[in-house]
Amino acid sequence: MKRLLITAAAATAAALTLSACGTTESADDEAKKGAESFTLTDDTGAKVKLNGPAKKVVGTEWNVVESLISLGVEPAGVSDVKGYKTWDSAVPLKNDPKDVGTRGEPSMDTIASLKPDLVLATTDLSAAAVKQLRKVAPVLTVKASDAADPIGQMNKNLDLIAKATGTTEQAEKLKKDFDAKLAAGKKKLAAAGHGGAKFAFADGYVTGNQTSIRPYTGGSLIGAVNEKLGLKNDWKVKGDKVYGLGTTDVEGLTKLDEKVEFAYIGNDGDKGSNPFAGVLKKDKVWTSLPFVKKGNVHRLPDGIWMFGGPESMNRYVDSVVDTLKK
Amino acid sequence: MAVTATTPATRPSTVASRTGAAAVTAALVLLVAVLAVVDIAQGTASVGAPEVWKALTGRAEAGDSSVVIASRLPRMTAGLLVGVVLGMAGAALQAVSRNVLAAPDTLAVNAGSYLALGIAAATGLSLPLLASSGVAFIGGLAAATVVLSLSGLGTGTVRLVLAGSALTFGLTAVTEGLLLLRPRETEGLYKWNQGSIAQNGFDGVLQMVPVAAVGLVGLVLLARRVDALALGDDAAQGVGVPVRSTRVIAVVLAALLSTAAVTLAGPIGFVGLCAPALVRPLARRFRVLTKSRARLPFAGLTGAALVLGSDVLLRAVVPSDTAVAVPTGVVTSLVGAVFLIVMAARARDTAGAMPTERLRIRSRATFVVTAAVLVLALVGVTIAGVLIGDSKLLLGDVVNWTQGRSGQAVTFVLDTRVPRVTAALLAGAALALAGTLIQAVTRNPLAEPSVLGVTNGAAVGAVLLVTTVPAVGSWGIAGGAFAGAAMSSVLVFGLAARGGFQQNRLVLVGFGVATGSTAVISLLIILTDPFNATKALTWLSGSTYGRTFPDVVPLAIVLTVGLAVAVTRRTELDLVSLDEDTPRLLGLNLSRGRLGFLVLSVLLSATAVAAAGTIGFVGLVAPHAARALVGRQHVRVVPVAVLLGAVLVCTADLVGRTVIAPAQLGAGLMTAVIGTPYFLHLLVRSRR
Repeated sequence: MKRLLITAAAATAAALTLSACGTTESADDEAKKGAESFTLTDDTGAKVKLNGPAKKVVGTEWNVVESLISLGVEPAGVSDVKGYKTWDSAVPLKNDPKDVGTRGEPSMDTIASLKPDLVLATTDLSAAAVKQLRKVAPVLTVKASDAADPIGQMNKNLDLIAKATGTTEQAEKLKKDFDAKLAAGKKKLAAAGHGGAKFAFADGYVTGNQTSIRPYTGGSLIGAVNEKLGLKNDWKVKGDKVYGLGTTDVEGLTKLDEKVEFAYIGNDGDKGSNPFAGVLKKDKVWTSLPFVKKGNVHRLPDGIWMFGGPESMNRYVDSVVDTLKK
Repeated sequence: MAVTATTPATRPSTVASRTGAAAVTAALVLLVAVLAVVDIAQGTASVGAPEVWKALTGRAEAGDSSVVIASRLPRMTAGLLVGVVLGMAGAALQAVSRNVLAAPDTLAVNAGSYLALGIAAATGLSLPLLASSGVAFIGGLAAATVVLSLSGLGTGTVRLVLAGSALTFGLTAVTEGLLLLRPRETEGLYKWNQGSIAQNGFDGVLQMVPVAAVGLVGLVLLARRVDALALGDDAAQGVGVPVRSTRVIAVVLAALLSTAAVTLAGPIGFVGLCAPALVRPLARRFRVLTKSRARLPFAGLTGAALVLGSDVLLRAVVPSDTAVAVPTGVVTSLVGAVFLIVMAARARDTAGAMPTERLRIRSRATFVVTAAVLVLALVGVTIAGVLIGDSKLLLGDVVNWTQGRSGQAVTFVLDTRVPRVTAALLAGAALALAGTLIQAVTRNPLAEPSVLGVTNGAAVGAVLLVTTVPAVGSWGIAGGAFAGAAMSSVLVFGLAARGGFQQNRLVLVGFGVATGSTAVISLLIILTDPFNATKALTWLSGSTYGRTFPDVVPLAIVLTVGLAVAVTRRTELDLVSLDEDTPRLLGLNLSRGRLGFLVLSVLLSATAVAAAGTIGFVGLVAPHAARALVGRQHVRVVPVAVLLGAVLVCTADLVGRTVIAPAQLGAGLMTAVIGTPYFLHLLVRSRR
């Protein structure tokens, strides 16, 4: 113990002499540009002042990162880059952004070292962390999602991010394309005889010997898109207030209508994420479900982020139309 | 319990006892059967009792019968198997260790298995069930071996639980670190850790049945030798029973049984502890049950009734879609925690008092040198904490920052980093002071806010407030933490006060409260914010993440008051910590002084939790090391302990922030990794 303390003390003395002088920054770091500044109000009611459109942006959640890329802004920092690449390959990163840590606890230091013009966070990030980030840069906190109006919330987030980055034109185009996509998709499905078809989307996780299934109710983004496509959501479970996600087990699927079309997204990069093509193949409850027997189970392509923005949803609409038309 | 309610009146004759025992067994079998049938009729599908009946008689629709056959029956069978296996494992462990508190949980078997599986999951191994059960077996057996060898077989009841629970804390901390690190790879492992008997068909059950059978048959064959051990080691040796090998075989078999249960359903807490304990009063009436050959299966049946009963209760009380998310293990953990507390409050303190530490008298010079070195170390760690991080700075930057002349980037970094370093320093100091006070007042070298359940109680209060009031501020969180800490400490100290703070009873009750609080926190997370476990895990792993200066203010105020009180009343602390009589002879009002110190230490722990989450073991390690360095006088112990605590937590925070940057680990995980071996070391040393 004592030797340890003495070593620590000696190390301290050495550190003091080594680090005593010098700074890590040059003197003329603060050359302010005289751009026109503007103020935005985010979903927490905070007023965020920006000195011109933000160019260097950090995103702490994947949905805001996806919106940024769709708007043509390459993010400077992204939480869990590897995870993003696995789960959102529909809207791939075009640059090589800095990894700023986990989505739950992005690193303040790393974000600060990027000297961003703007940090985009969602209400999933703790209020304390947002408070700290505000000292690093202006922070826009958008609602992660809103089960009362998921598509509206997605568009609202896109608009806000577009205003902050000066890309409103691109946002209008994205929204228009998305509306067109929905209308066209609805038409195609109706033409294929799927107008008003019962539909259920879920994902699932396998842990140990158990399977949890996560129903996407009408309050989820995907659930809302399904309704716009003229499909009828068949889940009876209640979803949470933010994401519109419920919980159930394999048994719970027996409550789905026998004519339901069942779709899911898994990921080959994540072994526990795909019970439907894995363990359930041998599960009698699953195999005796009427819609499974009829083969009305559809695996949609990997990499469409279920909580993403218009481009992920475009991709989702395409794949739903494709798979149902088959 | 229904089991004891049906106990018929008995006469002392053996024949009557035999029929009585048969009647009780029959009643128990009936109870288990009823619970099993009720369990089959519960679930998320709308398959109720009538459909189940049709399915069992082969007249149901295909869909309904497949639900019964592939979902309900496997779940019921798993519950039955897990209960039997855990009940027998507990009974066997208690018999060979002659220890009423031995069980898979208290021997850290479950925690060992959990860690082994966690490592396997985090490294991306996707193992078939039998292989993962092998991994879990190795982990569980290793943990049990460590605990048993540290506590010594057949010695103190309490020591075993202390060693096991401490190891459980440490191992769980490491596993939770893995969960935070690899959220995707280990997704669901957190939920799994609570234990749930739901199954994907019969596959798992069928694979585990042979493993369980080996264990069960083995134990029954070993029963006679186990009975001999009850006579005492020498007597057993006298009748020709090999004591050592009997114990080793029994422990290995019990570990095998509990890993079978863990692999199948996750750790279902405390069944192995409660089931044999429920059999004990019956055994006093029916002589047959004192024989292991009858007692082990009976304990197994009781275990099955406990597991199925908890599952039935859960599904009956909570709506079915919510019940899916609430693991059975949380229910048994809550029941078990209450049980542990009751047992501890009633248990006689067989281990006796811990011997007072034999410490050399230290000279004044030693104190001055130690304090000086510590101050230097503190300065060093603080500087390192401020300079080192994802972006490295130099001292000149800090000087500029303090004068408001630093550039944007440096200001950003320091504005966020300095409050974290401050929170770590103050939390460490506060916890060390709280530990010093509690150890003095209870004269218990193992007493400590986290061991006594005070920090976990505070976390319940804080998490409850954070989940229900999203916009709560720093004072609000501190208040919530204090309310939780106050409630848990009133419970712990209130129960332990009977019989004048018996040394080990206090710690046992504390462990019970700590376990119960953890179950409550899990329940809160699952019910309120199922898709954001990171938030709560952050609290539980003691993180300084996102702290700002206002968050630290309550802690700073309480710490200042605490230090002032400790310094001005240092002689009283010395006297209180000495023995029961001296202060009384000197005319001091002991109970009031004790109460004051206790309230102060609860306040200190609560504000520390509010500022930095649950950081364990600092309050244990710091005062100990301080006494070892500078002797027992509080005028010396207090400053040295406080300095040590600050250095320790600040270092833990620094390491947690930097080793896996830009991701990070909580400071509490790091202190648990340091603190657990230290706690075990203290246990070993006090045995001599």
